[in-house]
Amino acid sequence: MTAPEGDILAAVIETIRTTINEDWIEDFPIGPETRFHDDLELESIEFVKIADAMQARFGKDLDIAGFLSGRSIQELIDLSVGDLAGFITVSA
Amino acid sequence: MARILITVPPLIGHLNPALAVAEALTAHGHSLAWAVHARQIGEALPRGAHVFPLDGDDAAADIAVPSARGLESVRLFFEDYTFPMARAALRPLEQAVRDFRPDVMVVDHQMPAGALVARKLGLPWVSLVTTTASIQLTSPTIDAWVAAQFAELQSSYLPQQMIVERPDFSPYRMIVFSIQMLAGNARALVDAPYLFVGPAQAEFRRQVDFPWGWLDHDLRLILVTLGTISRDRDTRFFEVMMEALGGFEGIQAVMVAPAALAARAPKNVLVRERVPQLKLLDWSTAVICHAGHNTVCEALTRGIPLIVSPIRDDQPVIARQVIDAGAGLFMRHGKVTVPTARATIETLLNASSFAARAKNLGQALRAAPGAAGAASAIASIAAGGKRAA
Repeated sequence: MTAPEGDILAAVIETIRTTINEDWIEDFPIGPETRFHDDLELESIEFVKIADAMQARFGKDLDIAGFLSGRSIQELIDLSVGDLAGFITVSA
Repeated sequence: MARILITVPPLIGHLNPALAVAEALTAHGHSLAWAVHARQIGEALPRGAHVFPLDGDDAAADIAVPSARGLESVRLFFEDYTFPMARAALRPLEQAVRDFRPDVMVVDHQMPAGALVARKLGLPWVSLVTTTASIQLTSPTIDAWVAAQFAELQSSYLPQQMIVERPDFSPYRMIVFSIQMLAGNARALVDAPYLFVGPAQAEFRRQVDFPWGWLDHDLRLILVTLGTISRDRDTRFFEVMMEALGGFEGIQAVMVAPAALAARAPKNVLVRERVPQLKLLDWSTAVICHAGHNTVCEALTRGIPLIVSPIRDDQPVIARQVIDAGAGLFMRHGKVTVPTARATIETLLNASSFAARAKNLGQALRAAPGAAGAASAIASIAAGGKRAA
């Protein structure tokens, strides 16, 4: 079963908001270009929570750890919401 | 008595613990020399210190620590600072070792040139770990990237059979200025012969003037600091803190921040560019900081809980150690709002668990052997030269 791409992006964004769960994130604009590090100041433990939530929702076989380990350090630094949503779209 | 050569990068947070260890070694009659970037830190060394300058004519000696944030700051710290400095320091450092003929080398963990010279010349050496972030295993991508950097550095200097995956880890002793309770309980560390000695407090910091009469001893004191490197980064965080702390009942705060902010500070907040941090901590109830390794250990040694707002380098890792130990709360440096800051401060002060956990950690930190323990480990390696592993 493949979920439509827009639904996956929306699910990632919604999960980011509930995971960070602070006042500023409520109306902080999040789109495909938003970067986890520079734009959201996401803690690595929060990224793990988001990844776990995505796995629970889109399939246990979703290998987000594998997706990350195949990337260079600069790609990790620049990792965006759209990168994660795109990976889930092609894998789920 | 042993001949001991110490090498550290020109960064005050790395130099201070080394100075404390050196003082203990000198007290036992050992003969010390320093291989350092003397232009930058020569004045901070003990009077009459035997110095082998690493500056040279090379621009690498004056490399500035880059000012990025998060993981990018880690990448730049290694690629633009540590490794260029290591490449430039290899030859002068090797010459210093040949001239001084030490029995043992004491090498800061962010000074890999020292580790490579010791390996090449077959000398025993110990590593000084000034931040426990550098001994934790991270993600496969980052671990592989670090190993690749080290492979390249070694290939230009060491014969092929001497190249190892992590040359920065001493097979003799890794002296860690923290305690296992904070750094190593729940985390995977790189396999190495660790000796956790706790903080090695430098007693000889520069005297800093402070208006002690400003403090009202009927109020609880909060120290706010982002450390020396990030103090002048941007003022948003400080402005949020001033607004959150202004009028906070029963609370006064000293904030280490640009002097320009002083004019806008509320009555109960004192802005100073420099403070006598250790003396102020003796009066403090809580600390709001960047989770620098030294500030965290200094606060916890006194049993003071913290709010941690990490920005760069090892700070996110150290912040997580504080939170996981139950001795502090997180605040997002670039995003925190006034209501969130106020609520976080209230929680830290009102829930007794944070102070209780900080107190437990304080007991363990004060019980650790400190600089004296580090010095005796170094002396015994100088005497025996035996590998721990």
